[in-house]
Amino acid sequence: MSKLSLHSLQQQMMNYLIDDKADIAQHVVEHGSINRTARLHIYKNAYRMRLKETIENDHQMLGMYLGDDLFEQMVSGYVTAYPSNKTSLRNFADALPNFLANHTPFKNHPIISELAHFERLLMVAFDAKDAARFTRQRLLEIPHEQWPSLVFRFHPSVQIAAFNFNTVETWQALKQQHAPEPAKHAANVWLLWRNNERLTQFRSLSQQEHSLISLMLSGDNFAQLCEQLLSQSSDEDISQLALNYLLSWVDDGILINQ
Amino acid sequence: MANNQPINHLTRELLLSLSDVVVPEHFLGFGLGLRTEHFQDVLNDKPNIDWFEVVSENFMVDGGKPKHYLHSIRELYPMVMHGVSLSIGSTDPLNFDYLRKLKVLSNELQPEWISDHLCWTGAHEKNSHDLLPLPYNDEALTHVCQRVEQVQDFLGRPILLENVSSYLSYKSSEMTEWQFFNEVARRSGCEILLDINNIYVSARNHHFNPQDYLNGITKDKVKQFHLAGHSDYGDYVIDTHDHPVADPVWQLYQQALIRFGLISTMIERDDNIPPLVDLLAEVDTARKIAQQTLGLSNE
Ligand SMILES: [Fe+2]
Repeated sequence: MSKLSLHSLQQQMMNYLIDDKADIAQHVVEHGSINRTARLHIYKNAYRMRLKETIENDHQMLGMYLGDDLFEQMVSGYVTAYPSNKTSLRNFADALPNFLANHTPFKNHPIISELAHFERLLMVAFDAKDAARFTRQRLLEIPHEQWPSLVFRFHPSVQIAAFNFNTVETWQALKQQHAPEPAKHAANVWLLWRNNERLTQFRSLSQQEHSLISLMLSGDNFAQLCEQLLSQSSDEDISQLALNYLLSWVDDGILINQ
Repeated sequence: MANNQPINHLTRELLLSLSDVVVPEHFLGFGLGLRTEHFQDVLNDKPNIDWFEVVSENFMVDGGKPKHYLHSIRELYPMVMHGVSLSIGSTDPLNFDYLRKLKVLSNELQPEWISDHLCWTGAHEKNSHDLLPLPYNDEALTHVCQRVEQVQDFLGRPILLENVSSYLSYKSSEMTEWQFFNEVARRSGCEILLDINNIYVSARNHHFNPQDYLNGITKDKVKQFHLAGHSDYGDYVIDTHDHPVADPVWQLYQQALIRFGLISTMIERDDNIPPLVDLLAEVDTARKIAQQTLGLSNE
């Protein structure tokens, strides 16, 4: 047998871990009371366990929702379909929502993929970049004539998530160890972010607030936000309504200094 | 020793002060692997510990609470950075995206040093997220040394490499692990982090004498010791880091002290994490063993 190159050895070892191909075994030394199959199996077992634990840690409520058997089926399907090409385990399960949306039996219950998506967004908000927040004090210092042209920017942790099911309510019920309501079809939009105390927070968005935030994301200024409100509501005091929104965003800590 | 007083008339501390134990220039003392579970306790109690080691990958994030805590703790204690993703032995190209993040973190934390493992973690763009053993032969030696040099050039400082626990060896190996390790350090200029538990675990799994490993490593290359727990299954031992340090590992630690002298030492616990006080007690045990061993060994 010619000497195995480092390149081939590594390829064969990865083939063993990922695809169960046992070519590497003939290159492993046999000695002592445990044979080379058992030696290789220690690595295979560690590989599977590490990936499974990563998904368990990232997706605790999803795990409860699925129960042990379905969770196991999901892990084994995902690990096979998406072997890690990431440097960090933190990103290993990034494609899990996509996997769940496209593979049976999970795709028959779209709320499962949505739950996974929600949990990944919580992780993104958790360790997104820090940035100095916009404060009420700062707002007061801005001369009134400049207000119409003000453009607001969001804190890097801010995520907007649209769901088609009662996904977040289901997540919350699981978190509080209650039985969730059955899955219900209903379009809803949520805001997730990391607050001033560095805790991850989320709340639902009304259609009106969602439309304002969408305008802000596309770079519209305060005057344009007011116009949007005017087009929706007829007789109210638009500037007061706009100011209330603005103050709630400032207090939530979702706006930053620029 | 200058006089002939019997040994039991001296306190161990006095013995240590009279002994000619050399305190190496970069000796940090006795430290602990910093875990998120203990952040709050460390900040509240400011425990009497010399330094912390942090896992680099855990803080390669943009922001958030853990990173905020890390910086607060850094203001109180010296730190070293310990990575698991360098994959120095892989035949894939070096991951410069990873190295750039490592450098950013190192600029933030200003660690005393940066370490990773003598192993490979993935190939062909797939990652096992495990510390896989290399074959110990000339091809791997040349490959690893050239990559260590590239990494050290990029970081602008020597790195430390650590021996991993292993459960298999390859027919293509031509030398012992310690010969290979020593040669990597000699040729590339890297330094050595000796994991005493890993030597014990691999010695049991591959049936070599751990003392041969210690004797085979050049003295002045070793800059840090790891101590950790394992799981003993009789026929084989697995490096689980979820138990206290086992007795045979404490004994091997004594042997390592006798061979290498005073070396920055820390307790590495990654799973089944106990309260901080339990780990601080283990750090104290390491400190006491070092004082006793180095004091008495001088006689
Ligand atoms: Fe270690």
